[in-house]
Amino acid sequence: MSALTLKLRFAPPVRLNLSALVPGRLTGMSLAEICALPVSGGRQPLSVGECFEVSGSPGEVLRLEGGSDRFDYVGADHAGGEIVVEGAVGAYAGRRMKAGKLDIRGDAGDCLASNLRGGLVTVSGSAGCHLGLPKPGEKDGMAGGTVIVQGDTGEFPGERMRRGLLLVKGRLGENSGARMMGGVIWAEQGLSRGAGAQMRRGTLIGPMVETPLATFADCGELDLLIVRIMDRHWREQLGESAPPAITGPTRRLMGDMASLGKGEILLTQS
Amino acid sequence: MSEEKVTSNEAIVRSGIAIDDTFAEAFGMSASGVVITADSAKWAQQSAVTMTGFGTSVIGCGAECGIDHEVAASDTPDGRPGVRVLVFGFAPDMVEEQLKNRVGQCVLTSPGSACFNGVEAGQKIGLSSGPRFFGDGWQTARKLGDKRYWRVPVMDGEFIIEDKVGVVTDAVGGGNFLVIGRDRVGVLETCELAVEAIAKVPGVITPFPGGIVRSGSKVGSKYGAPASTNDAFCPVLRGAVSSNLGPEDNCVLEIVIDGLTSEAVGQAMTAGLAAALEAGQSRNVTRISAGNYGGNLGQHHYHLKDYLP
Repeated sequence: MSALTLKLRFAPPVRLNLSALVPGRLTGMSLAEICALPVSGGRQPLSVGECFEVSGSPGEVLRLEGGSDRFDYVGADHAGGEIVVEGAVGAYAGRRMKAGKLDIRGDAGDCLASNLRGGLVTVSGSAGCHLGLPKPGEKDGMAGGTVIVQGDTGEFPGERMRRGLLLVKGRLGENSGARMMGGVIWAEQGLSRGAGAQMRRGTLIGPMVETPLATFADCGELDLLIVRIMDRHWREQLGESAPPAITGPTRRLMGDMASLGKGEILLTQS
Repeated sequence: MSEEKVTSNEAIVRSGIAIDDTFAEAFGMSASGVVITADSAKWAQQSAVTMTGFGTSVIGCGAECGIDHEVAASDTPDGRPGVRVLVFGFAPDMVEEQLKNRVGQCVLTSPGSACFNGVEAGQKIGLSSGPRFFGDGWQTARKLGDKRYWRVPVMDGEFIIEDKVGVVTDAVGGGNFLVIGRDRVGVLETCELAVEAIAKVPGVITPFPGGIVRSGSKVGSKYGAPASTNDAFCPVLRGAVSSNLGPEDNCVLEIVIDGLTSEAVGQAMTAGLAAALEAGQSRNVTRISAGNYGGNLGQHHYHLKDYLP
């Protein structure tokens, strides 16, 4: 499997837009052409070649060695293959990604997986605020795919989420699933305040919720079949990265009744 | 199945049972299937039996239905024991309508049941398009991968039903053979064992009661009905009509086979014939034949001699 490696020469003096660096766009390009690609405009225009040492050949794997919180739009519109970032990334990583894998071995900035459509985004560190948030004028947040964050997230994770799975191993930020329309947010450490505010549909799962909103109806403890189906599906899809198996009944809070009210918070037995 | 000889009329004789040199005439059909799960194998089976009731003939029942096989809990989407049911009809839209009604009345209503796609095929038809609206607006969907599941609130929890099922348009309906013998008990026991053998072949059903038909039909009727009794195989009319029965042929029962593929029907014919020949020799079975319409109506012809074990 051919791979292209870009090694960071120096800490970027300005924010870099790395949206051009996805395997699908680089296919067929020579190293010289890749080096000439612009990654920053304005008064300090920079090219790939000025910022990175480029080696290998474009193929299914793209490796960024040396991350920075100024790396914006890493893996934007990624549609197949794998991108590995050895370090942090900035805002909008994985935006509108459709397929493939984006492996961030560090922290991610704000608006990770904005309007994600498919594929798998993994973050070994923590993620910033507004995970999945669409840009102004767009309807959906995460609309598919899977995001796994090993660390914590900032506020408003999964806002306006429509489909897919957001799995957070650390602490999930406040106001998770706000205005959610579908999909699943799974918080292994529990849900913080404001969870599910104005959610219409969708599912939030965790062992506890901090100060549940008064606009959620307590349906009691239930043995829900859909939990088994989700569990089996993710175990097949994600293997060891899958959310922990749910044993026993779950307590169902249905809401947000201040909105459509067909969403739910499922509290597992911790 | 020791001896084998060819009689003057070219029927093959095995273990004293003559196999007519004829063929079963079968038709192209559309077919789909569901996997029904429940809290126990008993209740999955109960739901499947209810759903496949009144599903013997596509002409009178709208569909031909049957249980294909049990599905282990490890192979079902929800990890519970399941049963695969197949439904055959003339066209995909006909199958869809039958699924909607049968699942809505017989699976949705069955305690603890869930209903999933049972046939992987490129073409899909709706499964939940009727039953999910029982939720009266409280139903919600969950999409996992490329599958969408509907959650319908019911009194024992939620009824889970997959949104779409696969449908195949090159299925086969009407594979068959006739077991002929001196008495009804022996022929019936022989057919029961043949149906048991066919049940082990995946992708086929025997839609009639217990898999066995006693009212084989011919095309047309003096009353205008599409089909009527197959008088040539009725022992009580022997001598009065151009009978196909010998002097000792006092009972005829038919086994009809529908399959998702022609190959599956062929395998089922072989399995059924093998069991019938083995069981029939001690149960006064004299002949095995097959039903056809002269070969002009059905696209699929299964010559008995080609499917002997």
